[in-house]
Amino acid sequence: MTKILENGNEMWEIGGKTLSSRLLIGSALYPSPASMEQAIRVSGAQIVTVALRRQAAGEGGGNHYWNIIKEMGLSVLPNTAGCHSAKEAITTAQMAREVFGTNWIKLEVIGDQYNLQPDPYETLKAAEVLVKEGFEVFPYTTDDLVVAKRLVDAGCRILMPWGSPIGSGKGLMNPYNLRAIREAFPDLTLIVDAGIGKPSHAVLAMEMGYDAILLNSAIALSHDPVRMAEAFRYAVEAGRAGYEAGMMPEREFASPSTPTVGTPFWHQNK
Amino acid sequence: MNIAIAGAGLVGRLLALNLLQEGHCITLYDADSAYGEEAAGMTAAGMLALFAELESAESVIFDIGKRSIALWPSLLEQLGIPDAYQQEGSIITAHPQDYSELDHFIATLRAKVSEASEIGMLDAAGIGALEPDLSQHRKAFFIPHEGQVDAQRFMQRAAEYLLEHPLVTWHQCYGVERVEEGSIISGGKRRSYDWVFDSRGLGANVQLDDLRGVRGEVLWVDAPEVRIGRPTRMLHPRYKLYIVPRPNHRYIIGATEIESEDRSPISVRSSLELLSALYSMHTGFAEARIVKSVTNCRPALRDNLPRIEQHEKMTRINGLYRHGYLMAPAVVEQALNEGIYKMEGATA
Ligand SMILES: Cc1cc2nc3c(=O)[nH]c(=O)nc-3n(C[C@H](O)[C@H](O)[C@H](O)COP(=O)(O)OP(=O)(O)OC[C@H]3O[C@@H](n4cnc5c(N)ncnc54)[C@H](O)[C@@H]3O)c2cc1C
Repeated sequence: MTKILENGNEMWEIGGKTLSSRLLIGSALYPSPASMEQAIRVSGAQIVTVALRRQAAGEGGGNHYWNIIKEMGLSVLPNTAGCHSAKEAITTAQMAREVFGTNWIKLEVIGDQYNLQPDPYETLKAAEVLVKEGFEVFPYTTDDLVVAKRLVDAGCRILMPWGSPIGSGKGLMNPYNLRAIREAFPDLTLIVDAGIGKPSHAVLAMEMGYDAILLNSAIALSHDPVRMAEAFRYAVEAGRAGYEAGMMPEREFASPSTPTVGTPFWHQNK
Repeated sequence: MNIAIAGAGLVGRLLALNLLQEGHCITLYDADSAYGEEAAGMTAAGMLALFAELESAESVIFDIGKRSIALWPSLLEQLGIPDAYQQEGSIITAHPQDYSELDHFIATLRAKVSEASEIGMLDAAGIGALEPDLSQHRKAFFIPHEGQVDAQRFMQRAAEYLLEHPLVTWHQCYGVERVEEGSIISGGKRRSYDWVFDSRGLGANVQLDDLRGVRGEVLWVDAPEVRIGRPTRMLHPRYKLYIVPRPNHRYIIGATEIESEDRSPISVRSSLELLSALYSMHTGFAEARIVKSVTNCRPALRDNLPRIEQHEKMTRINGLYRHGYLMAPAVVEQALNEGIYKMEGATA
């Protein structure tokens, strides 16, 4: 198979689009629209998430904000942030389809107000309906394998398990679970969403074979969002390249299995 | 000189006050009445948060803010309300589970301006000494340089002062369609002046296409059981709250920040967020009375920084965003210093 390369990155497909960047970026919390625009450009991201609820309340919504994102010519992934029930999320998704003219939706149904942990039951309910209505659903979920399975049964072709709670910056709290999801769904598009705090977290997730990373706070809340966007761009590329190249196995040198050449065997294991 | 100012909000009033000192003839035009509440300057809490605003703003606001803080006392003196200015410092705190927000806050400030290294951390005793009512908090920063202007008092007193002044004509409820070089166009009629200023805030968006509004909601509460004397902020991972004290146990609670030009009343969600954060700061707010809620839009440019545009016989000042009180006096001063009007001003 010939690989299509763009800027040295192998192209990949998501929700019917072919992209080179594996970084999905959020559009909230930046110091200004100008710094958002610059950070997004530098990150190389081709998909930008936007929250419909908060930004466009009522008439004459945040048109300027949209326009800035639209002018950038990137794919918009609207989200249902702030929704607490399947019903709310479905309504928000339908509104988002109108506003943005896309069938993509990042499904986010919150079950805990403080740590913003997703509600698996309501997420699943909403996913079932939205898939039937023709949405390409990007569900934000925990790293629970059974929930992941149910979402796939509901017709989701993409899953977005968390690394840790939204905005916590704690990285991959349960790498074992994330690996289990990757192994259970080798062909599904898997994106680590939420909890990434520093570039090394992104590298780890990409090395595990996750297809992409979605993040916002780690860039927007850094002292220098533009510089941090650059850091994440390289982190995601490095992790992916490492994964594709195939990592050498880790080795235990703590207790040698064979005598070391040149050392008398009676000196071994001292 | 004969000078016209379109938009008598915060910037417009400051312009007029400054220009009068040089003896110019001023004509103000505003779409609202002189005591109306359309201007963002009437909604503002009036905080002069020189340092705290750096958490999410560029460091240039620091120097402009410092200059404005130096200018406010004499401006308020000119209006006869020196006590509308207060500079006793401000308090930044957080709940124990959110202490990492305090760390991030101070690290961000220190990365932006070296002066932030002087900001000290208070423990419960230190907090209690400054603000006894907040002594249940264990950790806070005290920023001595910060203060506030009683925004509503400034706006009202400036209106009285200007309306009484013999050199001022104020056309109230008089919308301006366009401001062009040396002229004001209103009701289809063009009037010429030696110099014109466009300070219509968000109302200038018909001529500035990179200007947008950022919705902000505030609540006013009367809380006789609460004694907090300094502007106080609570940091939280998701919502930010500030409490700005006014005389007689009145507090302005704010403010949301939503990318929208919607000016409809405050939402239930925003009220819940603001009020639960407020109650968590001090249980004495439980019995407070909500006397008012206000929604307005901050006029903002893409970099969320102010812009002075000098043209032939025209100056536009806009983009004060959430920093009008913190920055407008210095921005107006700079605009007047660099304007070509200065040279011609000699003949006034
Ligand atoms: C909720 C909230 C809280 C804030 N808190 C603070 C704070 O604590 N500290 C701080 O520093 N800043 C604060 N601000 C920001 C501050 O209020 C603004 O930056 C400032 O008011 C902008 O000044 P301006 O003169 O450009 O606009 P405005 O004050 O809005 O004045 C514009 C004027 O132009 C008039 N106008 C509009 N269109 C026309 C037209 N076509 N013809 C004629 N007249 C017209 C309007 O009626 C108005 O009087 C806050 C703002 C909000 C909304």
